[in-house]
Amino acid sequence: MKHEVIKKQAASIVVLKGDVDLESSPAAREVLLKSVEGAGKVLVDLSRVTYIDSSGVASLVEALQAAKRNGGRFALVAASDPTRRVLELARLDKVFTIYTTVDEGLQA
Amino acid sequence: MKGLPPGGERRDPYKLDRRKTPALTGHLELLAKMSGHLAVTLNIEDTIEKALELITKYVDAEAGSLFLLEDDGLRLTCRASVGPVNIRGISLKSGEGIVGQCITENTSRMVRDVSTESNFAHSVDETTGFHTRSILCSPMSTQNIRLGAIELINKKDGDGLFSETDLMMLQTLTAAAALAVRNARMAEVLVHQERVNREIELAIEMQRSLLPAARPAPFPVCGINLPAYEVSGDFYDFFELDDGHIYFSLGDVSGKGMDAALLMSKTASLFRCVGKTLHEPGTLMETINRELCETAIHGMFVTMVCGILDTATGSVRLANAGHEPPLLHRADGSYIQLPASAPPLGIMPLDIGQDGIREEQFTLDGGTLYIFTDGVTEGRLASGERLDVQGIKAIITRHAGDPAATRIQSVVSTLGESGEQRHDDITILAVEDPTRGMIKNDAACGAEPLVSLTFPARAEELHPVREVVRETCEKCGCPPALAQDLVIAIGEACQNVVRHAYKGIDDGEARLDIQCRDGMLEFCLLDTAPPVDREKVKPVWPKEIHPGGLGVCLIHNIMDRVEYLPSPAGQGNLLRMIKFFKRHKDET
Repeated sequence: MKHEVIKKQAASIVVLKGDVDLESSPAAREVLLKSVEGAGKVLVDLSRVTYIDSSGVASLVEALQAAKRNGGRFALVAASDPTRRVLELARLDKVFTIYTTVDEGLQA
Repeated sequence: MKGLPPGGERRDPYKLDRRKTPALTGHLELLAKMSGHLAVTLNIEDTIEKALELITKYVDAEAGSLFLLEDDGLRLTCRASVGPVNIRGISLKSGEGIVGQCITENTSRMVRDVSTESNFAHSVDETTGFHTRSILCSPMSTQNIRLGAIELINKKDGDGLFSETDLMMLQTLTAAAALAVRNARMAEVLVHQERVNREIELAIEMQRSLLPAARPAPFPVCGINLPAYEVSGDFYDFFELDDGHIYFSLGDVSGKGMDAALLMSKTASLFRCVGKTLHEPGTLMETINRELCETAIHGMFVTMVCGILDTATGSVRLANAGHEPPLLHRADGSYIQLPASAPPLGIMPLDIGQDGIREEQFTLDGGTLYIFTDGVTEGRLASGERLDVQGIKAIITRHAGDPAATRIQSVVSTLGESGEQRHDDITILAVEDPTRGMIKNDAACGAEPLVSLTFPARAEELHPVREVVRETCEKCGCPPALAQDLVIAIGEACQNVVRHAYKGIDDGEARLDIQCRDGMLEFCLLDTAPPVDREKVKPVWPKEIHPGGLGVCLIHNIMDRVEYLPSPAGQGNLLRMIKFFKRHKDET
C-alpha cells in the first residue's frame, strides 16, 4: 500500500493506493488518525484501493470516530468497487459519508 | 311413514270379510287411500290442503277447516279451508273457540246441534252468512306434541247433524293427517339441513382449494391442516417466486367456525396476492395488517408467520406477528425457538416504519424449520396431557430419519390417538434445507482438493493466497463479482488465523484446500495453532460500530455455510466454508 496526503482548500485529502490489508493497515491507521487530529475536514480518496479487508475498514471507522470526537469532518471519496463492496457487506456504507468525486467532497 | 299399499287387505292375516263388515271395511279403505295420498307429498301446504279436502269429503261435511298452532304456541291460524266460505288466514288466540279448547285439552268434541249450545258464537255466522248447525272437532297431535285441529261443519245429508260414527271417523283420519303434517315438517327441516350441509361442503371445498397442493420431494416445504370442525381458522401456503425462492406462511385466526374461516380465507388470499410482488416478509405482513385493520371485524385477529427460503443456500428470512414461536431443528440436533417480533395482525396499524415487521435471517444449515398453530402444542395426547413444544421436539427427534412429510404426520397422529373430538384446528408446516444432502459430511475436507496451498501464517503472505483464490474461483465458473466476495471472505479467514489463532507467532503455517463440485465451492482452512474459542468467532453484528469483529461477520455474510470441524491432525483448527453458486439462476 502507498499513501499520500494533499492539502487543498483547507481540507486534507488522504489518498490510499493498493491493498489495504492486515499487512498495510497499521500504516493506514497511523496516517488516518494523524490527519484527523485537527478539527478540519478530512477526505479519504479510495479510488485507487484495489483491496481492503476488515482491518483496513476498522482503521477508517476508528478515524471517523476520532474525527467526530475532535469536532472535525470525515468523509470517503470515490470509493473503488472493491472498497464499496466491503463497506456494503460490512453494512457500513450508510455509516460513512461517501462523495463521488474529490471536488464534490471539497465543496460539501 | 308410508300408507297401506294398494290391495293392503290381502296381507291382513285376519282376512277381512267385506260383506260382513261393510262399514269398517269402508273406513279402512278410506284410511288407506288417504294415507296413500298424504304419503306422496312432503310439502306442508299441499299436505294439509289434501288432508282437509279428503276428510271433508269422506265425512260428508258441508265445510271444513284446518288450524295449526304457530311456533310460539300462542296463536292458531287457519291454514286450509273447504266449503262455501273461505276462512283461510283467520287467526285465533290459543284456547279460543271450540277449536282452541280441543287443542288445549287434546280431546275431540262434537256439538251435535249448535242451537242447544249456549257457548256457540253466532257472530261468525252473522259475518259470513253461513248457517252452522252441527260441529265436529278433533285435535292433531303426535307424541304429545300439539300441532292443531280439524273442524268440520254440518253434515251434508239428513238433518245436517253429525253422529258419534262421524266423530270416530274424524278422529281416525285426523290422526293420519297429524302424522302427515309431522312428516312434512320433518322433511322441511331435512331439506333446510341439506341445504346448509351443501353450503358447508362448498365452504370446505373452497377452503381446501386455498391450501397448496403437496409437492413431491425434493421440494423443501410441506404442510398439514386438519380442521377441528368442518371449516378451519388456520391456514398455510407456499409458492415459488421467479428467482426460484419459496415464499411460505402459516396463520391462525382467533376463534373457530365460519367467521374465522372467512377471515382465514381473506388473509390467505392477501398473502398469495401481495406476496407475488412484495418479496419482503416483514413488509408483506405489515401490508396485510393494514388491510385487515381497514375492514376490522371486532375482536378478531390473526397470528401469522411468513418467510422466504433461498433455495440456493438454505437461508431464510422470517417475520412473526404474534404467533407461537417456530422451532428450528438444527443439524446438530439442538432446537432454537424464534419468538414473535410484532403483535397479531388485524388489531391496529403498527407504528414500525417502512421496513415493516422485523425479520430474522438465518441459514437452515442442514436443519428444518417447523411452524405450527397452538392446536398442536395445546393438543391432547392419549394420556390426556398436552403435547407442548417439548412433545413436538421429542417426536421430531424420534423421526429425524424420516422424510419431513412423515415427520409432521407423526406429530399429528400422536394427537389423534386419544380418539376425542379435537377442539382446535391443527396445522404444521415444515421447511427443509434444500441444500441438505448436497454436502457429504463424512467426506468433508477429506477428498482430493482441486487446489491445496500451504503458506506461512504471516500478514505479508496473504496477498498471493488471495490471488490463488480468485483464479481458482473464476476457473470453476464463478462470476467475477462472486469471486471477489469469496476473496474477501477467505482473506478474512486467513487474517483470523494470523491474528487470533497464532497470535503473532512467526513460524506458524496454514493450509487452504479448495474443492469445487456440483455448483458448490468448499474451502477448508487448516492451522496447527491452539484451539480458538468458538464463542468468539460467532458473527455478532455490533449495535454501535466499532473497529473490531467485522471479519467474522463478513465471512458469514458471504459464505452459505461456515463451521469448525474437528481437526484431522488432532490439533489446530479446521474451518470449513461453503458457497453454492451455479444453482442460482442469476449466476448460471
